[in-house]
Amino acid sequence: MPKKAAMRRGKPPAPGQGKRRRHGPQLSKAMRRELDAMGPGPARGSDDEEGSDVVAEDVYEYEEGVPEEESGKNGRYDAVAKYEYNFDSDASDADEDVPSEEGEDMEEDDNDDGDDEDKQIRILQETTGMPREAFGGKKRKQPLELPLQHGDGDGPVTIHDLLDNVQGKPGYSKIRKRLQQQEKKPMVVLAPLPKVERDKIERNVTFQKSKNELTKWEGIVKTNREAPVLYFENDTNLGVNTVAAIASEFKPRTEFEKRIAEITQSTDIIEAHKNDGAKILELNKIDVEDVRERQNRLAKMRSLLFRHEMKAKRVKKIKSRTYHRMLKKDKLKAASADFEADPEAVKDHARKQEFKRAEERMTLKHKNTSQWAKRIIKRGLSVQDEGTRAAIAAQLQQNTLLTRKMNSMKDDSSSEESSDDDEDESDSEAKILNRGKEKILKALEEDNEIPNSAVFSLPFMERAMKKREEATYEEARQALEEYDDSLKKLEENNTEQNEDSIKVSGKRTFGPVKNTHEEFKKRRKLHDTENSSDSEYDSEPAQHLSNNEVTMKHDDIQLGNALLDDEPQNDIYKSFNDIKKNPGPKTTFEVGMLAGDSWKKVKSNKGNGQSNGNGITNKSKLPVPSIVDPKPKQQDHNSDSDSEEEMVEGFLTVSDRKENYELPSQADLIRQAFAGDDVEAEFEKDKMDVLNEENPEPEKPALVPGWGQWTDIQQKKGLPSWMIKEHEVAKRNRQEALKRRKDSKLKHVIISEHVDKKVEKYSARNLPFPFTSKDAYEQSIRMPIGPDFNPVISVSALNRPAIVKKPGVIIKPIQYEEVNPHEKPDEPKRVIQRATPNQNAKKAFAKQGKGATSQKRK
Amino acid sequence: MAAGTRQDPPAAPARPAAPPLLPAAQNAQHELEMEVAKYSRGQGADLKALRDKKLKGQLSVKEKLYGQSAKAAAKAEKWLMPNDGGILEPDHLEKTYRISQEDILTEVDLLSSRKPFDMILPVLGPYNIGYTSNGRYMLVGGQKGHLAMMDMLHMDLMKEFEVRETVRDVTFLHNEQLYAVAQKKYPYIYNRHGTEIHCLKEHGKALKLQFLSKQFLLASINSFGQLHYQDVSTGEMVANYRTGLGRTDVMRANPYNAVIGLGHAGGKVTMWKPTSVKPLVTMLCHHGPVTAVAFDRGGNLMATAGVDRKIKIWDLRKYEIVHSYPVRAQSLDFSQKGLLACSNGSQVEIYRDFGGHDYKLYMKHKIMKGYQVGKVLFRPYEDILGIGHSMGFSSILVPGSGEPNFDTFIDNPMETTKQNREKEVHALLDKLPPETIMLNPNMIATVRAPKKKEKKTKETEEEMEDAIEAAKNIERKKKTKGRSKPSKRAKKKEEDVFKAKRPFLEQSDKIDGRPDKKQRIGEEVELPKALQRFAKKPQS
Repeated sequence: MPKKAAMRRGKPPAPGQGKRRRHGPQLSKAMRRELDAMGPGPARGSDDEEGSDVVAEDVYEYEEGVPEEESGKNGRYDAVAKYEYNFDSDASDADEDVPSEEGEDMEEDDNDDGDDEDKQIRILQETTGMPREAFGGKKRKQPLELPLQHGDGDGPVTIHDLLDNVQGKPGYSKIRKRLQQQEKKPMVVLAPLPKVERDKIERNVTFQKSKNELTKWEGIVKTNREAPVLYFENDTNLGVNTVAAIASEFKPRTEFEKRIAEITQSTDIIEAHKNDGAKILELNKIDVEDVRERQNRLAKMRSLLFRHEMKAKRVKKIKSRTYHRMLKKDKLKAASADFEADPEAVKDHARKQEFKRAEERMTLKHKNTSQWAKRIIKRGLSVQDEGTRAAIAAQLQQNTLLTRKMNSMKDDSSSEESSDDDEDESDSEAKILNRGKEKILKALEEDNEIPNSAVFSLPFMERAMKKREEATYEEARQALEEYDDSLKKLEENNTEQNEDSIKVSGKRTFGPVKNTHEEFKKRRKLHDTENSSDSEYDSEPAQHLSNNEVTMKHDDIQLGNALLDDEPQNDIYKSFNDIKKNPGPKTTFEVGMLAGDSWKKVKSNKGNGQSNGNGITNKSKLPVPSIVDPKPKQQDHNSDSDSEEEMVEGFLTVSDRKENYELPSQADLIRQAFAGDDVEAEFEKDKMDVLNEENPEPEKPALVPGWGQWTDIQQKKGLPSWMIKEHEVAKRNRQEALKRRKDSKLKHVIISEHVDKKVEKYSARNLPFPFTSKDAYEQSIRMPIGPDFNPVISVSALNRPAIVKKPGVIIKPIQYEEVNPHEKPDEPKRVIQRATPNQNAKKAFAKQGKGATSQKRK
Repeated sequence: MAAGTRQDPPAAPARPAAPPLLPAAQNAQHELEMEVAKYSRGQGADLKALRDKKLKGQLSVKEKLYGQSAKAAAKAEKWLMPNDGGILEPDHLEKTYRISQEDILTEVDLLSSRKPFDMILPVLGPYNIGYTSNGRYMLVGGQKGHLAMMDMLHMDLMKEFEVRETVRDVTFLHNEQLYAVAQKKYPYIYNRHGTEIHCLKEHGKALKLQFLSKQFLLASINSFGQLHYQDVSTGEMVANYRTGLGRTDVMRANPYNAVIGLGHAGGKVTMWKPTSVKPLVTMLCHHGPVTAVAFDRGGNLMATAGVDRKIKIWDLRKYEIVHSYPVRAQSLDFSQKGLLACSNGSQVEIYRDFGGHDYKLYMKHKIMKGYQVGKVLFRPYEDILGIGHSMGFSSILVPGSGEPNFDTFIDNPMETTKQNREKEVHALLDKLPPETIMLNPNMIATVRAPKKKEKKTKETEEEMEDAIEAAKNIERKKKTKGRSKPSKRAKKKEEDVFKAKRPFLEQSDKIDGRPDKKQRIGEEVELPKALQRFAKKPQS
């Protein structure tokens, strides 16, 4: 239906017909022609409209049914369409006003008309590219050709005569039936209404129509308005999007594609596929055995590859240092295995090693020359943690290893041997200690055998010698004790020491290297002062162990002196020359230091543990106080002397402390004693003050001196009444104000009535717009809506904006859909916007016509 | 008997299968309804009385959402917060306060049994303590300068050092990263490593410190009785008021509204906020000096103790005394669940609300004779009471004191570092301005009470009526030439009445603060000259 209407709008209708139809039922063109032929009607000059009108008047009574029939037959007459046509836009009106000549032309020859239509169809066909049949509807509209009957020309033509002609045509029986009905009860059709009336009716109908059109939107608009939240979403129907779906629509276009398609879609191959591809397999003849073997082989290879890959991955991931070290060692070992077989490799290796050594000696890369090492040393090694210290030591070790002089291959092997010894470091350490002990004992023994030369026999020399002897003896004893202690400790902490000591991965480890950072520091000091190179020092001790005995024998006394003088006092410089001359005993010295240090540590720890001074002793599981490192404790000891007097007092006089705590000061006591005297009266006074401050008492009425005191009468009258009245009012007001206070009935409370202006900004001055009552407003905001106060599932619902849309979604004009305006859904409403308006909506638009749409947009 | 274990009633004897379910279900339903009522926070607006249809629709939608939210919250509480706090339940005739710590220790689980301990630190005492809001970290401050911070979850000492001067009070700031210490001359802020971050010289010789975590304010009272508020996040000194009531070291913040309560020597307790020079409330609580003040978590209860050997419980809504007990106390503290601890000499007593704010003795704990308890403080989210005394610090088990279900949105005792950071940022973003501290924080966003009193308006109404009456009764002279036609007379009368009414109407408009709309338009809009003759002429 709408399509037809549109078409009519698109193509101007035959104007004459439109006009004629206004004048009520008409005869068809052919019939009229027949009538003309039958008899010359009065004043029938032409096919003018007036003429036809006259004819119509003549034939009106008996032919009124026909036009309807006919239009029913060719489907031209439609009430709605007509109505629409009549109320079409101005353009169509203009069409109607086309002068009648055109209509004349049209009527004059049907052929022309037919030709025109043909042409039109052709044009349409060309422009749209649609087949001719699409426009065939026009054909049916062509008037029915009625064969003329010239037989009985006398009487007037009855409708039956005409009917005879159409007998057998579709719709004949219908017409006949209606005719029969009409004949049974012939009725008189009312004369058409006057134009004004008709227009009124038409307007009414239009109004009803457009009203219906508009009111059907009411529901959706209402629901949209009432919905607390509107979601706008695009209709995202992506359709088929799988690869298979896309591929199925593939059509070969190019030459190449076509050829491929030909091959793939050839019946042979398709059939072969249908038969499980057996036919294709037949083509290449291979033994099943071969194939299986090949497959197996491939699988094996693949699995091997995979395993290798996995292993490599795992190995690559390993971060353990020890692992890598081991790996390196293994590699070295493998290399050394090579050496045995291949002298070339040995030489090569030696050259490489030499090169490395030279490089190291030149760059001193591993000699704490790096910025990092310098910084750390500057900060002090003692402050660093274990790891850093170890790293520094390792670096030094690396240096010594690299710069060690290699005389020959034999040296290398010897060093390897020695490295084997180091496996039990603690053993060697113990050995060193033992040796040191022995030496001291020996030195003591030998001390006694000082040759009595002339010089020594001098009395003061003798005295001095004696003194010195005693001192040395004492010190030696101490040293021995230390040795014992450290030995004991070594035994105890064998394992721990191993862990604690710096991890040196090299082949040789020496006593000094094992020592703690403090020794490092000291040693550094030594080197700095004496400018002796590290390399010298570090490379030499390698032989010390073996040379020890020999050097000891050379200057025993010196050793003894060195040991006894230096060690306890920690005065290194004094005997440094001796040490430098003979580095042999230095190892022992250092060991001694280690021992001494640890001993000291133990002692200090013990002291801390025992001293009640500041230590926080712990009754229960709290591991806190005793394990704290001793430094802060020492600080505390120092701090005591610095701290203030009262602190010292509190510290020293422990017994006084309690009293101090219990007894409040004198002032406190006095305050307490007199505090409760008359607190209530005081408070009442305070309250009065506050009240007076906030609601000041009105001034007593008084006249300005000199005014109103001129005469006795005035004086007698006293104050004017208005003044007294005013005063009374003010007084009353004050009383009321006081009564209204929150604390008016609370004797012991003052509640400030002062209005805080800063707080006022947090309250609303007026009720917000839609609210009319304060209660409703305040109850509506009683619920907090934040995430802190609500469960997660309801927070988003509580805070959702009125309109939700994703960025990029364009909100389209409203589209029609059926909704029940009376139901109130709980969920927020979702508006799904289709790319094209839906069918119902389209229909509605079309029906409404242009005028209606413009109206709606308002 | 045992802490934290509640004896279930013996199983009901055999009954038909169906009936017992029903009451249970009903009970659950009832409970749920109660919870929902709690979470819907009062009644909704009466929608039927509203005439505005649109507003009605909007409000009904809102109410529906509120209802759903309350229901969800009630269900969440039911399922996610299943822990009941333990309590000491005496058998017949048994007294809970006779149960000693040793008895409790034998009954409780292993984890809880590790929590109570004693630290004997005899040299630098008496000790002050402070907990973070999540109860995880503890700060111990010896009066002679010893400061230590402990992680109570892992029981390890995080930092310990000495400031070598008097330490009067310690308090954590928003988390364990920073804490403030009131020292000999000034309060200082240290970080968790014991590094001094700030010296707050403006506070002077502070005696007590309180931190208001929502507002990030550090409040202190100094020896001159000056109350300082300093914003810790910006460093700004928000307020500095003289109390004018002398030196005091009794200060506590009300956790509900962040109002600071001070106890004074005159027996007064004053309440302060940073935007008011005068105290909001002054109460006469005791006849002697006030020794301690504590506020309940709900903010409606206050406990005060005075030298007059009394502990008083106050209702802060009515400012009336609820109960008074003849007990001495040096320090008071309310637990999260409403237990009240008070220390007296070397004895600590814990009171429990047995309904109607009737506090009765619940537990008793005596420390070694001669030790003086300085401060008692409940540890949040644990059934533990920390006691700082002259010989160190000890903590005891108090079943039913801590909140058993913690909300990680508020405080998380098991907080990770990341959560801690997140929370710090959130707390800073959610920082409240100092003006939000007020006695009734629910005032915010409500409509301000009109300044004009209601009584006045009634009076004016009466006056207006009188004036109208008077205007109506004016007798007009009889005039000739049709000027006394009834219609004219009626018109005149109407004018008179309007004239009489006018001043009152104007007055009321002024009070409302909104000038008459019509009048305003008439004043402002000047019609074009051509149209002026059509304008309504002003009457009379």
